[in-house]
Amino acid sequence: MTPDAIVIGAGANGLVAAHTLARAGRRVLVLEQRGESDGALDAGWVPPAVIRDLALDRHGLQVVRPDPWISVALPGGDRLELWQDVTRTAEAIRRVSPADATKWPAFCRRMHRLAGFLEALYAVPAPDVETRDLRELLGLAGLGLKARRLGKEAIVDLLRVLPMSAGELLDDWFEHDALKAALGAAGVLHLRQGPRAAGTAFVMLHHHVGSLAGVFRPPLSNIVAVLATLPGVEVRRGGGAQVARISVANGRATGVALASGEVIRASVIASSADPRATLLGLLEPGWLDPEFARAVHSIKCRGVVGRVLLTVARDPGFRSLAVAPSLEYLERAYDDAKYGVVSRQPYLEARTENGRVLVHVQYVPYALADGGWDDARRRALGDLVVERLAEHAPALGQAVTGREVLTPRDLADREGLTEGNAYHGELTLDQVLFMRPVPGWSRYRTPVPGLYLCGSGAHPGGGIAGAAGRLAARQILKEVAG
Amino acid sequence: MPSLSPSRYDAIVVGGGHNGLVNAAYLARAGRRVLVLERRPRVGGAAVTEEVFPGFKFSMFSYVVSLLRPEIIRDLDLPGHGLHILPLESTLTPMENGDYLAAWADHDETRRELYRHSPRDADAYDEYGRLMHFMAHAVKPILGMVPPDPTSLHPRDLLGLLRLGKHFRGLGAEKLHALVKLMTMSSADLLDEWFETDVLKATKSASGIIGTFLGPRSPGTAYVLLHHYMGELDGVFRAWGFAKGGTGSVSEAIAGAARRFGAEIRTDATVARVLVTRGRAMGVVLENGDEIRTKAVVSSLDPRRTFLQLLESDGLPDDFVAAIRRFKFRGSSGKVNLALGALPDFTCMPGPGRHLRGAVSISPSLEYVERAYDDAKYGEFSRRPYLDIVIPSMIDPEMAPPGQHVMSIFVQYAPYHLNGGWTDARREAFGDAVIDAVERFAPNLKSIILHRQVLTPADIERVTGLTEGNIFQGELALHQLFFLRPAPSWARYRTPVRGLYQCGAGTHPGGGIMGASGRLAALAMLEDGA
Repeated sequence: MTPDAIVIGAGANGLVAAHTLARAGRRVLVLEQRGESDGALDAGWVPPAVIRDLALDRHGLQVVRPDPWISVALPGGDRLELWQDVTRTAEAIRRVSPADATKWPAFCRRMHRLAGFLEALYAVPAPDVETRDLRELLGLAGLGLKARRLGKEAIVDLLRVLPMSAGELLDDWFEHDALKAALGAAGVLHLRQGPRAAGTAFVMLHHHVGSLAGVFRPPLSNIVAVLATLPGVEVRRGGGAQVARISVANGRATGVALASGEVIRASVIASSADPRATLLGLLEPGWLDPEFARAVHSIKCRGVVGRVLLTVARDPGFRSLAVAPSLEYLERAYDDAKYGVVSRQPYLEARTENGRVLVHVQYVPYALADGGWDDARRRALGDLVVERLAEHAPALGQAVTGREVLTPRDLADREGLTEGNAYHGELTLDQVLFMRPVPGWSRYRTPVPGLYLCGSGAHPGGGIAGAAGRLAARQILKEVAG
Repeated sequence: MPSLSPSRYDAIVVGGGHNGLVNAAYLARAGRRVLVLERRPRVGGAAVTEEVFPGFKFSMFSYVVSLLRPEIIRDLDLPGHGLHILPLESTLTPMENGDYLAAWADHDETRRELYRHSPRDADAYDEYGRLMHFMAHAVKPILGMVPPDPTSLHPRDLLGLLRLGKHFRGLGAEKLHALVKLMTMSSADLLDEWFETDVLKATKSASGIIGTFLGPRSPGTAYVLLHHYMGELDGVFRAWGFAKGGTGSVSEAIAGAARRFGAEIRTDATVARVLVTRGRAMGVVLENGDEIRTKAVVSSLDPRRTFLQLLESDGLPDDFVAAIRRFKFRGSSGKVNLALGALPDFTCMPGPGRHLRGAVSISPSLEYVERAYDDAKYGEFSRRPYLDIVIPSMIDPEMAPPGQHVMSIFVQYAPYHLNGGWTDARREAFGDAVIDAVERFAPNLKSIILHRQVLTPADIERVTGLTEGNIFQGELALHQLFFLRPAPSWARYRTPVRGLYQCGAGTHPGGGIMGASGRLAALAMLEDGA
């Protein structure tokens, strides 16, 4: 068959884009260079519109909201556990800080209201602030009205909180170090900044969108596995499906050339690979205007997250465990990364799943100051992680029977992520909304007609499963007659 | 019984810094009877020239001029009152390897110098300069704009918001995007997009951290890169200038203009409190107990002093007091003033020369400046600080005895909240760190020092009254700017107390010797019929 559209990448965004196109009657071919997924749950909020459009709930979508959503190690072996329920969390906080417990419900209410505003922004394409189009202008005015209807306190919060640092915001509210760190860490996920950097309050709220009040980590789901079983699109996987080039003729995308040499023609190419990999890696350089190419090249996409997978023979003594004693701890962890060094005291967030412990490690720089990544350095990172976790969970040390260490470098090599950044571009204030992926190109188009971006590198960004894919597909359907 | 005479004044200005003086001058120019009350024996606030050591005059705190609003210079005829700006045209950055990077007044010469480091950067430099020039144009009108209140439904505010939206949209896509980037990015990230020469990025980004508690890699520092280009626009100044007679002569010129228009200026007059009756400011009480009545009071002090010290806070709305309490100051800069018996000799450019008539920037690499910030972030002064050095006596020989010199060293970082607090011993240790940092590049320095004055943020606060020694009367962070400066709904120079106004740098558009706050506040007062 000759497809109408080719989607590059079979992650949540690629598959949502593919199925959205297929449901509108397009023949879609998805190309994924990797094999089947390993069955691990995917982190990220699944927007209701994505579930509804593709009826994912009827196809077995399970959204997991871990409860407690975080369990922070406290000195002396105790844990601070934050729950899905506001009152229960307040009780947990009361044991360490009565003052903070009292403020918790108000904090949850204020932050949830702001996240609600972001949720509305994330359900639609990014506002186009330069538009002269009447419908777009009405949309902008609608957003303004929506903000105003929230009331004075919320408007001030919006203007004040979004550009702030998470650290400063949390210092305004709370006194307990581990509580502030648990929340502040949500402000730096996949970001090469510390919690004292302006704009991290926004990132914290970004990771709050779609969760219950008081929950500052995206939920988990089996969305990719569910999408993979949905009929209606053809998915080709493995080395034979590796895209080497996007073909362009007369300035238009005409198809792809695979690494095998095979050429597949299609008038629409939607790439869920990151913008730098897509536009600088898969296109002949000549097709882009130098200004645009420079903007793409400048996308900050600095990988700072390592993943360590531990196989355990017995219960490590926790379901989830975070090492984040204070904001200063996180900030110092970031300082190391600034100079190209792995955090000596990294932020760790571990959860146990099917006999494995999955650990998010931050900060692990993509590029090291003193040479490249090698096995010795990878081993040292693994040792560091096990050691630090075992300080708070002594049972872990004996339980580990195997481990896999993935640095940003490995993520880049294996998954084609530029600099190993899973968010396809950091969520800094200059790289969100109408500035994402590059200023002026937030509507999933590219300067090459027929080529679209449908991954996390486009609005609304990483940590949200399927939103960019859905919005990109709708844009394609609007522009390209079937 | 002391009779209260009917007020002789239409307005009393609390504080005779440059903004207070500008405010007074504008009010007096409009025919109002104005009294300025200054706590110190001289006007100027942080813009003063003092003979700290016999024969050696220093611009004790603020030391360069670039942002003074051209309309103020014009309206108040400051040149007629003795203001004379001498250009400060070059910047020399010594490097660790003995080389240097220099920027000269002559554009082509700067370009050639840059070419020596990187041909690519020399090309990018012009394009970057053009963009910054455009952006400075785009931002300038906002500095002269009274911020609308986004939470208000008053037609004036709605209109203001509309006008603001129109202004931004009118910029066109490219400039709007550049503006968003400038407002949100770190100076290092922005410069990374343009240049590859590390020492160039270090020196440029250092201008983005002055007066802030942020490092070159902290988001929000890119915006200040624009300031360099703003001064250039007016044709009145070169990029950065030095006032003949020191920065105090800027204050003296404004004071002269104010007096000419009929304002009365009283020094050694400390205001203890603003008199408030039934929610209305009626006058002020001096520390010596004198009461002076007036129709309006305008404070040029910072928001914390104005609202938490001069007023009883129980008369103010709770959310307002909360907003003022969380307004961040966190002074980050110190100053070292040296009297020198001879000229310093920089290893990278030996001997006397024109480079000594400009600035010398101790910012050899981005990492150097960022590490200086790391120290401060955890409550220590920088072991190897970023320094901005000028030798005013090279430009204006009257600042020092013949053959001798004064050196002004602006230092970052020196946190106000130093671990363990500032003591005399810590101050001297800080001074030593500064001298050591210069000496690495100018080895004769220690041997030519006759006297030294070390000012920590605690000293700046003690002498000038600036809370936490913050030279901008409150950090210039995005969430403390424009309609949020100093508090939401109170960014229009008015306050919750009727008849009380604010005109300091703690209001829009903020710090630097701009005078814009003083002027805009005066216009607001006149609009209210004060």
